[in-house]
Amino acid sequence: MLHFVLRRLGFAILVLIGTSIITFVVAFVVPADPAVTIAGAKADPQTLAMIRQQLGLNQPLYMQYAHYLGRVLHGDLGRSYIMRESVTRLIAQRFGATAILAICAMVLSLILGIAMGMIAALYKDRAIDNGLLVVSLGLISIPVFWLGTMLLVVGGLYLRSFPLGGFSGPRSLILPTLTLALGSGGYYSRILHTSLGEVMGQDYIRTALGKGLSRRAVMFKHAMANALLPLITLAGLDLAGLLSGVVLTETVFDWPGIGRLAFEAIFNLDIPLIMGTVLFSAFLIVIANLVVDLLYAWLDPRIRLGEQG
Amino acid sequence: MIRIAIYFRLVLILLLAGCSSVPPLKLPPGARVLWLAAADDVPTLDPAIGYDSASWIFEQAIFDTLVRYGDATVELEPDLATSWEISKDATTFTFHLRRDARFSNGRAVTSADFKYAIERVLKPSTRSKGTEYYRGIAGAADFISGRAKAVSGIELPDPYTIIFHLTGPDPIFIHKLTMPFAAAIPREVAEKWGEDFSHHVVGSGAFKLSEWIPGQRIALVRNPYYFAAGLPKLDAVVEMVGVNEELEWLKYEAGEIDISGIPAAEFPRVMRTPRLKALTIHNVTVTTDYIGMNCQMAPFTDVRVRQAFNYAINKQKLLDLLNGRGVVARGVLPPGLPGYTPDVKGYPYDPNKARRLLEDAGVRNGFAPVLWLRADQTMILLAQSVQQDLALVGVKLALKPVAWGPLLEAVREPNNTELFLLGWEADFPDPENFLEVLFSKRQWRSNNDTFYANPEVDRLLAAAAPISNLQLRFKLYDQAERIIVQQAPWVFLYHPVSYVIRQPWVHDYVINPMRPSRLEKVWVSPHKAGG
Amino acid sequence: MKRRLGAMEIVGLAMILTLIVVAVAAPLLAPYDPTRAVAPTYGEPGPPSRAFPLGTDELGRDVLSRIIYGARISLAVGVAGMLVTMTIGVAIGLLAGFFRGTVDVVLMRFTDVMLTLPGLLLAMALVAVLSPSLISILIVIGLVSWTQVARVVRAEALSVSQRDFMVAACSLGASSTRLILRHLLPNVLPLIVVMAALSTSGTLLLDAALSFLGLGVPPPTPSWGRMIEEAELYFRIAPWLAAFPGLAILYAVLGFNLFGYGYLRRQGR
Repeated sequence: MLHFVLRRLGFAILVLIGTSIITFVVAFVVPADPAVTIAGAKADPQTLAMIRQQLGLNQPLYMQYAHYLGRVLHGDLGRSYIMRESVTRLIAQRFGATAILAICAMVLSLILGIAMGMIAALYKDRAIDNGLLVVSLGLISIPVFWLGTMLLVVGGLYLRSFPLGGFSGPRSLILPTLTLALGSGGYYSRILHTSLGEVMGQDYIRTALGKGLSRRAVMFKHAMANALLPLITLAGLDLAGLLSGVVLTETVFDWPGIGRLAFEAIFNLDIPLIMGTVLFSAFLIVIANLVVDLLYAWLDPRIRLGEQG
Repeated sequence: MIRIAIYFRLVLILLLAGCSSVPPLKLPPGARVLWLAAADDVPTLDPAIGYDSASWIFEQAIFDTLVRYGDATVELEPDLATSWEISKDATTFTFHLRRDARFSNGRAVTSADFKYAIERVLKPSTRSKGTEYYRGIAGAADFISGRAKAVSGIELPDPYTIIFHLTGPDPIFIHKLTMPFAAAIPREVAEKWGEDFSHHVVGSGAFKLSEWIPGQRIALVRNPYYFAAGLPKLDAVVEMVGVNEELEWLKYEAGEIDISGIPAAEFPRVMRTPRLKALTIHNVTVTTDYIGMNCQMAPFTDVRVRQAFNYAINKQKLLDLLNGRGVVARGVLPPGLPGYTPDVKGYPYDPNKARRLLEDAGVRNGFAPVLWLRADQTMILLAQSVQQDLALVGVKLALKPVAWGPLLEAVREPNNTELFLLGWEADFPDPENFLEVLFSKRQWRSNNDTFYANPEVDRLLAAAAPISNLQLRFKLYDQAERIIVQQAPWVFLYHPVSYVIRQPWVHDYVINPMRPSRLEKVWVSPHKAGG
Repeated sequence: MKRRLGAMEIVGLAMILTLIVVAVAAPLLAPYDPTRAVAPTYGEPGPPSRAFPLGTDELGRDVLSRIIYGARISLAVGVAGMLVTMTIGVAIGLLAGFFRGTVDVVLMRFTDVMLTLPGLLLAMALVAVLSPSLISILIVIGLVSWTQVARVVRAEALSVSQRDFMVAACSLGASSTRLILRHLLPNVLPLIVVMAALSTSGTLLLDAALSFLGLGVPPPTPSWGRMIEEAELYFRIAPWLAAFPGLAILYAVLGFNLFGYGYLRRQGR
């Protein structure tokens, strides 16, 4: 087991280094000069030259990367070019708003997805099943930014019962949560439907059904636990993605989270902030992957033995 | 299902934790507060760093400069300097400070605090955007390169006198001292916090920073040590952050916000409603929005093509898209700028003339130049109107919306951007700040992005720059502007007019044409508390 | 006998076909030039009326005509982006699944790295620095969305290449190229078609999102995502400006999803 954990851990670190190289290349091989971004519209060439020197932009790229990596390993993601604020601190400040939204959205999508998936599986191949399938496909197909805008128009403008954006207490959470959860709820219901279908076809379930237990009872008592596993795995990875910020929804709702921070960073070409948000996101996803892998190995010894063999 | 219920409870707990993480604002009962709102956080409060109106509105409130502008004018007024002398040749500027000014930590403001502020701006490690304005001070070059520990051209004969010696004549140097870059800051505080000074600012202005919760709100309270008796009239100014334009408007309508912008979609209704219209405040900004044409790139090397573009573009249509919030530009200089002459005629909308000129210049039908612009909703909207206009004279304009930084970089490259949509906001109320900076050959690869060059214009600009006599100075600039307008390196579009709306209980809020509004004289009459 | 197509796939195909017809016949169907000001109002959006059934925008252009022409750019980006995505994804998936061993490890580890990168953020950053154009958007879409395809194709290729006929062909001395192209590819093809449909719907959504964030194909080319973005300024007084292009996106994405998921459902996946 220790061997397995070490391997996974090593791989996670490798992935993070790869990610950091890719983001670094994307950020620095761009035809944009950070000095111009920092100095603003009116700077004269002398000011620009001075800033370039100060940032070490005259050094070769690999040197800049080495410096960057060294600082990242000490937990320092650098300072935003535009806001002159530590990137770590900026992300920390925005994390709360993103986390609340992410968790609410995840809970609601799981409720929606599990409910829809279960009902569809109970009434397999009947009208309800087909209806739910079309509904869930519809939900998956809605552009999330449009859904958000429409919810704002209806809930904020016509009904006047929700704020038009911003984060100002529980009521302001409802529309963005719905926006995020409808689409992924539809998706989760498809996943659960498929995995329930697979589990219900297995021998021990057939045996249970053969013993005269009702389909409903079998599904709740025996099949559900196994069928939920792939869904929970997926949801775990998705949660990591949500926690690293949801650009579109946060943009539509002016949500003070990491997604909007990243959006602003990209528009200002604020490279340290772009790198910081991308790396933070990759970090969360790698951690989630690691946790999922280890959990699986713990639950199912075949995996860790297979890895060694 | 039980598990879900547990999760749900967990979420609720987190929710409550999240909402209570922003403590309510503590203000004494009956405090007179001005409530503002903004979509984005204040970029910075560090006067060496900020160079945008969102930062400057607060920096102006927190810090004092030697001299400043009137509330609604661009005329110089004393701030911490009570009087000043300028040598005849405009190379020596002497200021006498008032003796009762104190920082909000109680320490007296002395001339050394101004010297420190400017040295901090000049220091390369600060990475200030304002360096260039103070590079003309004698000894600045040595200080920047590290050869000198102090700027020799800033002389402090006593704690209440400061003398600037320049390397050459610069009559508008005094205007550079009105910028927050040159505001007095206490060295001990700035050095204690270093790059985090922005969150711990201490100044001598009418207000001091009370709290700044990033992404949530920023609050200023009155500075008890402020030198002007009876000011500020407000006890506090609070800006709520994360409030988009639409939300700001709804909050205004609900009485929660005292001063608000007016969203484009609402503007026509506001102007049709007498009660609301009476509450609007506006002022023409000293800004010119324009389309630059690169005079070194064919066919824009031909003056006829440049003039044709000026005739082809319907500026009134652009103003319609802006709800009429602007005045059509007839030349470079905006009205309201000292030295502006109203009889510069510019180019009326005349597509027929444009077509003829293009034909004469041999530009074929279907000519497809690229217009570079900032990827911003309003800019793209305006550019599409230009696109429609040009289509009528046989020009198939392509748009290239890019981020702000790359746009600024692209336009400085020679032979790179044939057309670009930009605006220029005055930093100083003087024609030099438009004509020299944007049209002299000396500014190629800096701010003269059209790469326009005319020896006569260069001569006139060079002759005008050192002249202190305004009448003489403006006459030379006027001659230069007429040549520039005739040769049309720009399509002169419009000068924006800024509009805000106030609540009926807000008084003495005025808009300055060049700088953000000042808050120390604003007051609120008793009303039902909204925010 | 097994039916070749299910009801969902037929509906999906019909939706896709109408979309293609609209795109091709746009000049015949659209009542107005989508880039010209045709409405009497300028500077303010016009509500739906007899002459303009879906209203007009603030530049006086007819929304219906813009949506019809928008089908062209959306379909073009959707299909071209799908081709880029599929080419990369299928190539990597097939190679990894066929050769296995070191090739598989290297390619899949690379895929894993790419999967940890936040796709939309990366796409935004790339388009922002490359500056938006049809080409840059296609490249970026391909670069960020091939990973899922590669994984699925690899899994399928792994299982196919262990089947008897593959082993037989291999022992008869067929070259790798021949094995991949003649034996492996045809057997993975049904799955590839489905992945293509799903990847098109993904591309449509990604392109719309980029356009919405101001990073789409530059105007005046009418694109649905950009129409929603432009409508944002007016969504209080003219919600129809955002509503209709959104429905158009929903329709197109749903068409491809019905086709793709319909097939998967019949296969019991």
